[in-house]
Amino acid sequence: MTELAIEARGVERVFVSRKGFFLNEITRTEALRGVDLNVEAGEIFGLLGPNGAGKTTLTKILSTLLLPSKGEAKVLGLDVTKEAAKLRPRMGLVLGGERGLYNRVSARENLRYFADLYGVPVAEREHRIQKVLDRVGLIESADRRVEEYSRGMKQKLHLARGILHEPEILFLDEPTIGLDPKSARETRKLIRGLVTDGVTIFLTTHYMFEAEELCHRLAVLTKGRVVGRDTVAGLRALVGGDRTLEVEGYGFEDAEVEALKRLPGVSKIVSEEFGPRLRLTLRLRTGELRVDAVRALLNSHPELTVRERQTSLEDVYLDLVGDGS
Amino acid sequence: MTLSRSARWRASLAAVRISALQFLADPQWLIPSMIAPVIFGLVAFELFRGLGQYFAIYAILGAGMMSMWGQTLYGSGWATGQDREFGTLEPTLQAPTPYLYVILGRVTWNVLTGLIGGAIVYGVVVLANGSVPALQNPAGFVLLFAFVILSLAAVGIVFAAFYVYTRYAGFIQNIGEFAFYVGTGCMFPVVLLPFWTNPIALAFPPTWALDALRYLAIPGYQGFAWGFWPDLAGAFATTGIYLAIAGTVFRRVERHVLEIGDVQDY
Repeated sequence: MTELAIEARGVERVFVSRKGFFLNEITRTEALRGVDLNVEAGEIFGLLGPNGAGKTTLTKILSTLLLPSKGEAKVLGLDVTKEAAKLRPRMGLVLGGERGLYNRVSARENLRYFADLYGVPVAEREHRIQKVLDRVGLIESADRRVEEYSRGMKQKLHLARGILHEPEILFLDEPTIGLDPKSARETRKLIRGLVTDGVTIFLTTHYMFEAEELCHRLAVLTKGRVVGRDTVAGLRALVGGDRTLEVEGYGFEDAEVEALKRLPGVSKIVSEEFGPRLRLTLRLRTGELRVDAVRALLNSHPELTVRERQTSLEDVYLDLVGDGS
Repeated sequence: MTLSRSARWRASLAAVRISALQFLADPQWLIPSMIAPVIFGLVAFELFRGLGQYFAIYAILGAGMMSMWGQTLYGSGWATGQDREFGTLEPTLQAPTPYLYVILGRVTWNVLTGLIGGAIVYGVVVLANGSVPALQNPAGFVLLFAFVILSLAAVGIVFAAFYVYTRYAGFIQNIGEFAFYVGTGCMFPVVLLPFWTNPIALAFPPTWALDALRYLAIPGYQGFAWGFWPDLAGAFATTGIYLAIAGTVFRRVERHVLEIGDVQDY
Protein backbone atom coordinates (compact mmCIF):
# COMPACT_ATOMS: atom_id res chain seq x y z
CA MET A 1 0.00 0.00 0.00
CA THR A 2 1.30 3.47 -0.86
CA GLU A 3 2.35 5.59 2.09
CA LEU A 4 0.24 8.69 2.58
CA ALA A 5 1.93 12.04 3.10
CA ILE A 6 -1.35 13.87 3.70
CA GLU A 7 -4.69 12.57 4.96
CA ALA A 8 -7.50 15.08 5.48
CA ARG A 9 -10.93 13.99 6.67
CA GLY A 10 -13.92 16.32 6.83
CA VAL A 11 -11.81 19.44 7.27
CA GLU A 12 -13.93 22.52 7.85
CA ARG A 13 -12.86 26.05 8.59
CA VAL A 14 -15.09 28.97 9.51
CA PHE A 15 -13.70 32.48 9.82
CA VAL A 16 -15.55 34.77 12.18
CA SER A 17 -14.95 38.49 11.78
CA ARG A 18 -16.33 41.25 13.96
CA LYS A 19 -16.99 44.80 12.87
CA GLY A 20 -18.60 47.89 14.26
CA PHE A 21 -17.69 50.10 17.22
CA PHE A 22 -18.70 47.46 19.75
CA LEU A 23 -17.54 44.59 17.47
CA ASN A 24 -21.14 43.40 17.48
CA GLU A 25 -21.50 42.87 13.71
CA ILE A 26 -20.43 39.27 13.30
CA THR A 27 -19.74 37.75 9.90
CA ARG A 28 -19.14 34.02 9.46
CA THR A 29 -17.36 32.82 6.34
CA GLU A 30 -17.20 29.12 5.60
CA ALA A 31 -13.85 28.77 3.85
CA LEU A 32 -13.72 24.96 3.89
CA ARG A 33 -16.79 22.70 4.05
CA GLY A 34 -15.66 19.16 4.71
CA VAL A 35 -12.54 18.55 2.65
CA ASP A 36 -11.32 14.97 2.24
CA LEU A 37 -7.92 14.49 0.65
CA ASN A 38 -5.18 11.88 0.32
CA VAL A 39 -1.74 12.77 -0.99
CA GLU A 40 0.73 9.98 -1.58
CA ALA A 41 4.34 10.28 -0.45
CA GLY A 42 6.67 11.38 -3.25
CA GLU A 43 4.01 12.79 -5.57
CA ILE A 44 3.29 16.31 -6.76
CA PHE A 45 -0.29 17.02 -5.81
CA GLY A 46 -1.95 20.10 -7.25
CA LEU A 47 -4.82 22.03 -5.76
CA LEU A 48 -6.77 24.13 -8.24
CA GLY A 49 -9.59 26.50 -7.58
CA PRO A 50 -10.84 30.04 -8.15
CA ASN A 51 -9.92 32.94 -5.87
CA GLY A 52 -11.57 32.50 -2.50
CA ALA A 53 -12.11 28.75 -3.00
CA GLY A 54 -10.18 27.94 0.18
CA LYS A 55 -6.83 26.84 -1.31
CA THR A 56 -4.64 29.00 0.94
CA THR A 57 -6.78 28.17 3.97
CA LEU A 58 -6.30 24.44 3.35
CA THR A 59 -2.57 24.94 2.75
CA LYS A 60 -2.26 26.84 6.03
CA ILE A 61 -4.17 24.17 7.95
CA LEU A 62 -2.00 21.41 6.54
CA SER A 63 1.16 23.40 7.27
CA THR A 64 0.10 23.99 10.92
CA LEU A 65 -0.48 27.75 10.54
CA LEU A 66 -4.21 27.54 11.09
CA LEU A 67 -6.48 25.28 13.11
CA PRO A 68 -9.42 23.59 11.42
CA SER A 69 -12.85 24.30 12.90
CA LYS A 70 -13.79 20.63 12.39
CA GLY A 71 -12.31 17.46 10.99
CA GLU A 72 -8.80 16.12 11.19
CA ALA A 73 -5.69 16.23 9.08
CA LYS A 74 -2.47 14.29 9.26
CA VAL A 75 0.75 15.16 7.50
CA LEU A 76 3.56 12.56 7.48
CA GLY A 77 1.36 10.59 9.88
CA LEU A 78 1.28 13.41 12.45
CA ASP A 79 -1.83 15.32 13.51
CA VAL A 80 -1.50 18.94 12.34
CA THR A 81 -3.22 20.34 15.42
CA LYS A 82 -1.83 18.10 18.19
CA GLU A 83 1.63 17.27 16.87
CA ALA A 84 2.61 20.51 15.13
CA ALA A 85 5.89 20.82 17.04
CA LYS A 86 7.06 17.43 15.75
CA LEU A 87 5.81 18.13 12.27
CA ARG A 88 7.22 21.60 11.63
CA PRO A 89 10.90 20.62 11.32
CA ARG A 90 9.89 18.09 8.64
CA MET A 91 7.80 20.37 6.43
CA GLY A 92 8.42 23.49 4.37
CA LEU A 93 6.00 26.22 3.39
CA VAL A 94 6.36 28.76 0.59
CA LEU A 95 3.63 31.38 0.62
CA GLY A 96 5.51 33.72 -1.70
CA GLY A 97 4.67 37.30 -2.56
CA GLU A 98 6.35 40.60 -1.84
CA ARG A 99 6.09 40.21 1.94
CA GLY A 100 7.52 37.61 4.30
CA LEU A 101 11.19 38.62 4.03
CA TYR A 102 13.47 41.03 5.89
CA ASN A 103 13.95 43.53 3.09
CA ARG A 104 16.72 45.60 4.65
CA VAL A 105 19.08 42.69 5.09
CA SER A 106 20.64 40.37 2.52
CA ALA A 107 19.19 37.14 1.19
CA ARG A 108 22.01 35.24 2.90
CA GLU A 109 21.17 36.82 6.27
CA ASN A 110 17.47 36.03 5.79
CA LEU A 111 18.42 32.40 5.19
CA ARG A 112 20.83 32.32 8.17
CA TYR A 113 18.04 33.51 10.43
CA PHE A 114 15.52 30.94 9.25
CA ALA A 115 18.17 28.18 9.23
CA ASP A 116 18.60 28.81 12.95
CA LEU A 117 14.85 28.93 13.54
CA TYR A 118 14.58 25.52 11.83
CA GLY A 119 17.47 24.07 13.81
CA VAL A 120 19.78 23.49 10.83
CA PRO A 121 23.06 22.29 12.44
CA VAL A 122 25.64 25.09 12.70
CA ALA A 123 28.29 23.00 10.97
CA GLU A 124 26.04 22.55 7.92
CA ARG A 125 24.37 25.94 7.85
CA GLU A 126 26.65 27.89 5.48
CA HIS A 127 26.98 24.94 3.11
CA ARG A 128 23.19 24.48 2.99
CA ILE A 129 22.63 28.19 2.38
CA GLN A 130 25.14 28.14 -0.47
CA LYS A 131 23.50 25.03 -1.90
CA VAL A 132 19.95 26.42 -1.91
CA LEU A 133 21.07 29.80 -3.23
CA ASP A 134 22.77 27.98 -6.06
CA ARG A 135 19.73 25.81 -6.64
CA VAL A 136 17.36 28.77 -7.00
CA GLY A 137 19.89 30.84 -8.98
CA LEU A 138 20.48 33.61 -6.45
CA ILE A 139 24.13 32.92 -5.65
CA GLU A 140 25.43 36.10 -7.31
CA SER A 141 22.98 38.38 -5.56
CA ALA A 142 23.03 36.58 -2.21
CA ASP A 143 24.69 39.46 -0.39
CA ARG A 144 22.46 42.20 -1.78
CA ARG A 145 19.65 43.60 0.32
CA VAL A 146 16.33 41.94 -0.45
CA GLU A 147 14.72 45.36 -1.04
CA GLU A 148 16.80 45.56 -4.23
CA TYR A 149 15.34 42.28 -5.49
CA SER A 150 12.74 41.96 -8.23
CA ARG A 151 9.48 40.17 -7.50
CA GLY A 152 10.81 37.05 -9.18
CA MET A 153 14.01 37.06 -7.12
CA LYS A 154 11.95 37.40 -3.93
CA GLN A 155 9.87 34.44 -5.02
CA LYS A 156 13.05 32.41 -5.50
CA LEU A 157 14.25 33.45 -2.06
CA HIS A 158 10.95 32.29 -0.54
CA LEU A 159 11.54 28.96 -2.26
CA ALA A 160 15.13 28.79 -0.99
CA ARG A 161 13.88 29.37 2.55
CA GLY A 162 11.27 26.65 2.12
CA ILE A 163 13.83 23.96 1.20
CA LEU A 164 16.71 25.13 3.42
CA HIS A 165 16.01 22.62 6.18
CA GLU A 166 15.51 19.78 3.68
CA PRO A 167 11.83 19.09 4.40
CA GLU A 168 10.13 15.82 3.56
CA ILE A 169 7.04 17.65 2.35
CA LEU A 170 6.83 21.10 0.79
CA PHE A 171 3.71 23.25 0.53
CA LEU A 172 3.87 25.73 -2.34
CA ASP A 173 1.19 28.39 -2.64
CA GLU A 174 1.30 29.64 -6.25
CA PRO A 175 5.06 29.22 -6.58
CA THR A 176 5.46 30.76 -10.04
CA ILE A 177 3.17 33.75 -9.65
CA GLY A 178 4.94 36.93 -10.74
CA LEU A 179 7.83 35.08 -12.33
CA ASP A 180 8.93 35.70 -15.92
CA PRO A 181 8.56 32.67 -18.23
CA LYS A 182 12.23 31.68 -17.90
CA SER A 183 12.22 31.87 -14.09
CA ALA A 184 8.89 30.04 -13.96
CA ARG A 185 10.31 27.26 -16.09
CA GLU A 186 13.38 27.06 -13.82
CA THR A 187 11.12 26.89 -10.79
CA ARG A 188 9.12 24.04 -12.30
CA LYS A 189 12.40 22.25 -13.03
CA LEU A 190 13.43 22.78 -9.42
CA ILE A 191 10.10 21.37 -8.19
CA ARG A 192 10.57 18.26 -10.34
CA GLY A 193 14.11 17.96 -8.96
CA LEU A 194 12.81 18.05 -5.40
CA VAL A 195 10.43 15.19 -6.15
CA THR A 196 13.35 13.20 -7.57
CA ASP A 197 15.05 13.79 -4.21
CA GLY A 198 12.02 12.22 -2.50
CA VAL A 199 10.17 15.38 -1.39
CA THR A 200 6.37 15.32 -1.54
CA ILE A 201 4.98 18.51 -3.09
CA PHE A 202 1.57 20.02 -2.39
CA LEU A 203 1.05 22.98 -4.65
CA THR A 204 -1.71 25.43 -5.40
CA THR A 205 -1.76 27.18 -8.73
CA HIS A 206 -3.96 29.11 -11.10
CA TYR A 207 -1.93 28.04 -14.12
CA MET A 208 -3.55 25.03 -15.77
CA PHE A 209 -0.57 24.22 -17.98
CA GLU A 210 1.63 24.25 -14.89
CA ALA A 211 -0.67 21.85 -13.06
CA GLU A 212 -0.89 19.63 -16.13
CA GLU A 213 2.88 19.66 -16.60
CA LEU A 214 3.85 19.09 -12.96
CA CYS A 215 1.17 17.29 -11.03
CA HIS A 216 0.70 13.56 -10.74
CA ARG A 217 -2.76 14.11 -9.27
CA LEU A 218 -5.02 17.10 -8.79
CA ALA A 219 -7.95 18.25 -6.76
CA VAL A 220 -10.32 21.03 -7.74
CA LEU A 221 -11.64 23.07 -4.86
CA THR A 222 -14.54 25.46 -5.17
CA LYS A 223 -16.57 27.19 -2.48
CA GLY A 224 -14.70 25.19 0.16
CA ARG A 225 -15.50 21.78 -1.32
CA VAL A 226 -13.45 19.35 -3.39
CA VAL A 227 -15.44 18.81 -6.59
CA GLY A 228 -12.94 16.63 -8.39
CA ARG A 229 -9.86 14.66 -7.42
CA ASP A 230 -7.83 12.46 -9.74
CA THR A 231 -5.11 12.40 -12.39
CA VAL A 232 -5.57 14.77 -15.33
CA ALA A 233 -6.91 11.85 -17.40
CA GLY A 234 -9.20 10.84 -14.55
CA LEU A 235 -10.55 14.36 -14.26
CA ARG A 236 -11.19 14.48 -18.01
CA ALA A 237 -13.22 11.32 -17.68
CA LEU A 238 -15.04 12.84 -14.72
CA VAL A 239 -16.28 15.77 -16.81
CA GLY A 240 -17.24 13.63 -19.75
CA GLY A 241 -14.23 12.53 -21.77
CA ASP A 242 -10.93 13.54 -23.29
CA ARG A 243 -12.28 14.71 -26.67
CA THR A 244 -14.08 17.97 -27.21
CA LEU A 245 -15.89 19.37 -30.23
CA GLU A 246 -16.37 23.10 -30.58
CA VAL A 247 -19.30 24.12 -32.79
CA GLU A 248 -19.66 27.79 -33.69
CA GLY A 249 -22.41 29.57 -35.58
CA TYR A 250 -24.80 32.56 -35.52
CA GLY A 251 -27.28 31.03 -33.11
CA PHE A 252 -28.87 27.57 -32.88
CA GLU A 253 -32.44 26.45 -32.38
CA ASP A 254 -33.28 24.67 -29.10
CA ALA A 255 -34.29 21.63 -31.13
CA GLU A 256 -30.85 21.56 -32.76
CA VAL A 257 -29.12 21.65 -29.37
CA GLU A 258 -31.38 18.84 -28.14
CA ALA A 259 -30.51 16.82 -31.23
CA LEU A 260 -26.81 17.35 -30.58
CA LYS A 261 -27.27 16.11 -27.03
CA ARG A 262 -28.81 12.91 -28.37
CA LEU A 263 -25.82 12.16 -30.64
CA PRO A 264 -23.87 9.06 -29.56
CA GLY A 265 -21.02 9.74 -27.11
CA VAL A 266 -22.02 13.33 -26.21
CA SER A 267 -21.86 13.66 -22.43
CA LYS A 268 -22.26 17.36 -21.96
CA ILE A 269 -22.88 20.59 -23.91
CA VAL A 270 -21.78 24.01 -22.70
CA SER A 271 -22.82 27.13 -24.60
CA GLU A 272 -21.00 30.45 -24.62
CA GLU A 273 -21.71 33.64 -26.54
CA PHE A 274 -18.97 35.50 -28.41
CA GLY A 275 -20.62 38.66 -29.71
CA PRO A 276 -23.08 37.56 -32.44
CA ARG A 277 -21.67 34.04 -32.51
CA LEU A 278 -22.56 31.16 -30.25
CA ARG A 279 -20.13 28.40 -29.33
CA LEU A 280 -21.37 24.98 -28.27
CA THR A 281 -18.71 22.88 -26.57
CA LEU A 282 -19.50 19.17 -26.78
CA ARG A 283 -17.67 16.91 -24.32
CA LEU A 284 -17.34 13.43 -25.83
CA ARG A 285 -17.24 10.22 -23.85
CA THR A 286 -16.18 8.01 -26.73
CA GLY A 287 -14.51 8.34 -30.12
CA GLU A 288 -17.58 7.29 -32.15
CA LEU A 289 -18.94 10.76 -32.93
CA ARG A 290 -17.34 12.33 -36.01
CA VAL A 291 -17.22 15.96 -37.10
CA ASP A 292 -19.13 15.05 -40.27
CA ALA A 293 -22.12 13.86 -38.23
CA VAL A 294 -22.35 17.22 -36.50
CA ARG A 295 -22.02 19.09 -39.79
CA ALA A 296 -24.79 16.95 -41.26
CA LEU A 297 -27.10 17.70 -38.35
CA LEU A 298 -26.49 21.46 -38.59
CA ASN A 299 -26.38 21.73 -42.40
CA SER A 300 -28.76 24.70 -42.39
CA HIS A 301 -25.90 26.87 -41.00
CA PRO A 302 -23.57 27.76 -43.89
CA GLU A 303 -21.31 29.76 -41.57
CA LEU A 304 -20.78 26.77 -39.25
CA THR A 305 -17.30 25.91 -37.95
CA VAL A 306 -16.57 22.65 -36.15
CA ARG A 307 -13.23 21.91 -34.46
CA GLU A 308 -12.11 18.82 -32.64
CA ARG A 309 -9.47 18.93 -29.93
CA GLN A 310 -8.37 17.16 -26.77
CA THR A 311 -10.22 18.23 -23.61
CA SER A 312 -7.83 20.55 -21.78
CA LEU A 313 -7.38 20.80 -18.04
CA GLU A 314 -8.88 24.27 -18.34
CA ASP A 315 -12.07 22.72 -19.80
CA VAL A 316 -12.14 20.28 -16.93
CA TYR A 317 -11.56 23.04 -14.42
CA LEU A 318 -14.29 25.27 -15.85
CA ASP A 319 -16.73 22.37 -15.98
CA LEU A 320 -16.05 21.44 -12.37
CA VAL A 321 -15.97 24.96 -10.97
CA GLY A 322 -19.07 26.04 -12.86
CA ASP A 323 -20.37 29.34 -11.55
CA GLY A 324 -17.96 29.18 -8.62
CA SER A 325 -15.30 30.97 -10.64
CA MET B 1 11.23 15.09 16.59
CA THR B 2 10.92 18.52 18.20
CA LEU B 3 13.68 21.12 18.34
CA SER B 4 16.26 20.61 21.10
CA ARG B 5 16.64 23.16 23.89
CA SER B 6 20.07 24.20 22.61
CA ALA B 7 18.64 24.74 19.12
CA ARG B 8 15.92 26.94 20.64
CA TRP B 9 18.51 29.11 22.40
CA ARG B 10 20.45 29.31 19.15
CA ALA B 11 17.26 30.65 17.58
CA SER B 12 17.22 33.34 20.30
CA LEU B 13 20.75 34.32 19.31
CA ALA B 14 19.64 34.41 15.68
CA ALA B 15 16.86 36.80 16.72
CA VAL B 16 19.44 39.05 18.41
CA ARG B 17 21.48 39.00 15.23
CA ILE B 18 18.61 39.76 12.82
CA SER B 19 17.43 42.56 15.17
CA ALA B 20 20.93 44.05 15.15
CA LEU B 21 21.16 43.84 11.36
CA GLN B 22 17.77 45.47 10.94
CA PHE B 23 18.72 48.17 13.44
CA LEU B 24 21.97 48.96 11.66
CA ALA B 25 20.27 48.97 8.26
CA ASP B 26 17.56 51.43 9.26
CA PRO B 27 18.65 54.97 10.18
CA GLN B 28 15.30 55.73 11.86
CA TRP B 29 16.47 53.83 14.97
CA LEU B 30 19.23 56.39 15.52
CA ILE B 31 16.60 58.82 16.83
CA PRO B 32 15.26 56.82 19.79
CA SER B 33 18.53 55.07 20.57
CA MET B 34 21.17 57.79 20.13
CA ILE B 35 19.60 61.22 19.74
CA ALA B 36 16.68 60.98 22.19
CA PRO B 37 18.94 60.05 25.15
CA VAL B 38 21.03 63.19 24.56
CA ILE B 39 17.87 65.33 24.61
CA PHE B 40 16.40 63.47 27.61
CA GLY B 41 19.72 63.90 29.49
CA LEU B 42 19.94 67.62 28.85
CA VAL B 43 16.26 68.27 29.65
CA ALA B 44 16.44 66.25 32.87
CA PHE B 45 19.64 67.99 33.90
CA GLU B 46 18.02 71.43 33.51
CA LEU B 47 14.77 70.23 35.12
CA PHE B 48 16.40 68.90 38.26
CA ARG B 49 19.20 71.49 38.55
CA GLY B 50 19.09 73.20 41.90
CA LEU B 51 16.94 70.51 43.57
CA GLY B 52 19.47 69.51 46.19
CA GLN B 53 22.99 68.18 45.96
CA TYR B 54 21.96 64.89 44.32
CA PHE B 55 20.05 66.41 41.44
CA ALA B 56 22.47 64.92 38.87
CA ILE B 57 21.61 61.38 40.03
CA TYR B 58 17.89 62.16 39.72
CA ALA B 59 18.57 63.45 36.22
CA ILE B 60 20.57 60.37 35.20
CA LEU B 61 18.02 57.94 36.62
CA GLY B 62 15.03 59.83 35.21
CA ALA B 63 16.33 60.39 31.70
CA GLY B 64 18.21 57.10 31.62
CA MET B 65 15.13 55.11 32.52
CA MET B 66 12.98 57.02 30.04
CA SER B 67 15.43 56.19 27.33
CA MET B 68 15.74 52.56 28.36
CA TRP B 69 11.99 52.24 28.74
CA GLY B 70 11.51 53.35 25.16
CA GLN B 71 14.09 50.99 23.74
CA THR B 72 13.56 47.96 25.92
CA LEU B 73 9.85 47.89 26.33
CA TYR B 74 8.48 49.83 23.39
CA GLY B 75 11.09 48.33 21.07
CA SER B 76 10.26 44.79 22.13
CA GLY B 77 6.60 45.20 21.30
CA TRP B 78 7.37 47.07 18.13
CA ALA B 79 9.71 44.30 16.93
CA THR B 80 6.74 41.92 16.72
CA GLY B 81 4.66 44.69 15.15
CA GLN B 82 7.33 44.98 12.47
CA ASP B 83 7.23 41.22 11.91
CA ARG B 84 3.52 41.65 11.21
CA GLU B 85 4.20 44.57 8.87
CA PHE B 86 6.93 42.72 6.93
CA GLY B 87 4.85 39.55 6.76
CA THR B 88 7.64 37.67 8.54
CA LEU B 89 5.50 36.79 11.57
CA GLU B 90 3.76 34.03 9.62
CA PRO B 91 6.93 32.12 8.53
CA THR B 92 8.46 32.74 11.96
CA LEU B 93 5.45 31.19 13.71
CA GLN B 94 5.48 28.31 11.23
CA ALA B 95 9.11 27.52 12.12
CA PRO B 96 9.68 24.86 14.80
CA THR B 97 11.16 27.34 17.31
CA PRO B 98 8.51 28.52 19.82
CA TYR B 99 7.99 32.24 19.26
CA LEU B 100 8.85 33.02 22.89
CA TYR B 101 12.52 32.19 22.12
CA VAL B 102 12.46 34.59 19.17
CA ILE B 103 11.03 37.30 21.37
CA LEU B 104 13.66 36.68 24.04
CA GLY B 105 16.29 37.36 21.38
CA ARG B 106 14.50 40.49 20.20
CA VAL B 107 14.14 41.76 23.77
CA THR B 108 17.83 41.06 24.46
CA TRP B 109 18.81 43.24 21.55
CA ASN B 110 16.48 45.99 22.72
CA VAL B 111 17.95 45.73 26.22
CA LEU B 112 21.40 46.24 24.73
CA THR B 113 20.31 49.33 22.79
CA GLY B 114 18.50 50.55 25.92
CA LEU B 115 21.73 50.23 27.87
CA ILE B 116 23.54 52.23 25.21
CA GLY B 117 20.84 54.90 25.60
CA GLY B 118 21.30 54.84 29.38
CA ALA B 119 25.06 55.19 28.96
CA ILE B 120 24.58 58.17 26.65
CA VAL B 121 22.34 59.86 29.24
CA TYR B 122 24.97 59.20 31.89
CA GLY B 123 27.67 60.72 29.70
CA VAL B 124 25.59 63.79 28.85
CA VAL B 125 24.67 64.52 32.49
CA VAL B 126 28.24 63.98 33.69
CA LEU B 127 29.50 66.32 30.99
CA ALA B 128 26.88 68.97 31.85
CA ASN B 129 27.52 68.55 35.58
CA GLY B 130 31.28 68.68 35.20
CA SER B 131 31.80 65.77 37.61
CA VAL B 132 30.82 62.14 38.19
CA PRO B 133 28.07 61.98 40.84
CA ALA B 134 28.91 59.58 43.68
CA LEU B 135 26.44 56.77 44.41
CA GLN B 136 25.61 55.76 47.95
CA ASN B 137 25.97 52.01 47.29
CA PRO B 138 27.63 51.46 43.89
CA ALA B 139 27.81 47.64 44.07
CA GLY B 140 24.18 47.27 45.14
CA PHE B 141 23.19 49.82 42.52
CA VAL B 142 24.84 47.84 39.71
CA LEU B 143 23.18 44.59 40.81
CA LEU B 144 19.77 46.18 41.13
CA PHE B 145 20.26 48.02 37.86
CA ALA B 146 20.65 44.68 36.11
CA PHE B 147 17.41 43.58 37.75
CA VAL B 148 15.64 46.76 36.57
CA ILE B 149 16.59 45.78 33.04
CA LEU B 150 15.04 42.34 33.61
CA SER B 151 11.87 43.93 34.99
CA LEU B 152 11.59 46.16 31.92
CA ALA B 153 12.20 43.16 29.67
CA ALA B 154 9.44 41.21 31.48
CA VAL B 155 6.94 43.95 30.67
CA GLY B 156 8.36 44.09 27.13
CA ILE B 157 7.68 40.40 26.57
CA VAL B 158 4.07 40.84 27.67
CA PHE B 159 3.72 43.73 25.21
CA ALA B 160 5.26 41.62 22.45
CA ALA B 161 2.64 38.95 23.13
CA PHE B 162 -0.10 41.53 22.53
CA TYR B 163 1.44 42.34 19.16
CA VAL B 164 1.20 38.69 18.18
CA TYR B 165 -2.36 38.57 19.54
CA THR B 166 -3.70 41.58 17.69
CA ARG B 167 -2.57 43.95 15.01
CA TYR B 168 -4.08 46.78 17.07
CA ALA B 169 -1.52 46.38 19.88
CA GLY B 170 0.39 49.43 18.62
CA PHE B 171 -2.65 51.56 19.36
CA ILE B 172 -2.70 50.43 22.99
CA GLN B 173 1.06 50.77 23.38
CA ASN B 174 1.15 54.26 21.88
CA ILE B 175 -1.49 55.39 24.36
CA GLY B 176 0.32 53.74 27.22
CA GLU B 177 3.87 54.76 26.48
CA PHE B 178 3.80 58.31 27.80
CA ALA B 179 1.45 57.54 30.66
CA PHE B 180 3.87 54.81 31.73
CA TYR B 181 6.84 57.18 31.58
CA VAL B 182 5.26 59.16 34.36
CA GLY B 183 3.24 56.40 36.01
CA THR B 184 6.16 54.07 36.67
CA GLY B 185 8.24 56.87 38.15
CA CYS B 186 10.79 56.93 35.36
CA MET B 187 10.98 60.71 35.27
CA PHE B 188 9.77 61.64 38.76
CA PRO B 189 9.49 59.50 41.88
CA VAL B 190 5.95 58.12 42.01
CA VAL B 191 5.48 59.58 45.51
CA LEU B 192 5.40 63.02 43.92
CA LEU B 193 2.38 62.04 41.84
CA PRO B 194 -1.27 62.21 43.04
CA PHE B 195 -2.11 59.30 45.33
CA TRP B 196 -4.70 57.84 42.96
CA THR B 197 -1.97 57.09 40.41
CA ASN B 198 -0.04 54.92 42.89
CA PRO B 199 -2.03 51.67 42.55
CA ILE B 200 -1.64 51.81 38.75
CA ALA B 201 2.06 52.49 39.07
CA LEU B 202 2.53 49.64 41.54
CA ALA B 203 1.23 47.17 39.01
CA PHE B 204 4.45 47.63 37.03
CA PRO B 205 7.75 46.08 38.19
CA PRO B 206 9.91 49.08 37.18
CA THR B 207 8.02 51.29 39.71
CA TRP B 208 9.25 49.15 42.62
CA ALA B 209 12.69 48.57 41.17
CA LEU B 210 13.28 52.23 40.37
CA ASP B 211 12.32 53.35 43.85
CA ALA B 212 14.72 50.78 45.32
CA LEU B 213 17.39 51.97 42.92
CA ARG B 214 17.01 55.53 44.17
CA TYR B 215 17.42 54.30 47.77
CA LEU B 216 20.73 52.76 46.75
CA ALA B 217 21.91 55.77 44.77
CA ILE B 218 20.83 58.79 46.82
CA PRO B 219 21.72 59.31 50.49
CA GLY B 220 18.64 60.20 52.56
CA TYR B 221 16.20 59.41 49.71
CA GLN B 222 12.56 59.30 50.85
CA GLY B 223 10.53 57.18 48.47
CA PHE B 224 7.59 54.95 49.32
CA ALA B 225 6.82 54.94 53.03
CA TRP B 226 7.65 51.25 53.36
CA GLY B 227 11.34 51.77 52.46
CA PHE B 228 14.00 49.87 50.52
CA TRP B 229 13.44 46.18 51.38
CA PRO B 230 9.71 46.05 50.63
CA ASP B 231 10.54 47.92 47.41
CA LEU B 232 13.01 45.20 46.50
CA ALA B 233 10.56 42.43 47.42
CA GLY B 234 7.84 44.14 45.37
CA ALA B 235 10.19 44.41 42.40
CA PHE B 236 11.03 40.71 42.54
CA ALA B 237 7.41 39.68 43.03
CA THR B 238 5.98 41.82 40.22
CA THR B 239 8.77 40.84 37.82
CA GLY B 240 8.11 37.19 38.61
CA ILE B 241 4.41 37.73 37.99
CA TYR B 242 5.11 39.46 34.64
CA LEU B 243 7.47 36.68 33.52
CA ALA B 244 4.84 34.10 34.47
CA ILE B 245 2.17 36.10 32.62
CA ALA B 246 4.49 36.39 29.60
CA GLY B 247 5.06 32.62 29.47
CA THR B 248 1.36 31.83 29.85
CA VAL B 249 0.20 34.56 27.51
CA PHE B 250 2.65 33.42 24.84
CA ARG B 251 1.46 29.84 24.94
CA ARG B 252 -2.15 31.00 24.70
CA VAL B 253 -1.41 33.62 22.07
CA GLU B 254 0.35 31.10 19.83
CA ARG B 255 -2.76 28.92 20.02
CA HIS B 256 -5.07 31.92 19.56
CA VAL B 257 -3.39 33.10 16.35
CA LEU B 258 -3.78 29.61 14.90
CA GLU B 259 -7.49 29.84 15.67
CA ILE B 260 -7.95 33.37 14.32
CA GLY B 261 -5.53 33.11 11.41
CA ASP B 262 -4.79 36.81 11.06
CA VAL B 263 -1.00 36.91 11.49
CA GLN B 264 -0.59 37.89 7.87
CA ASP B 265 -2.67 41.04 8.47
CA TYR B 266 -1.12 44.35 9.39
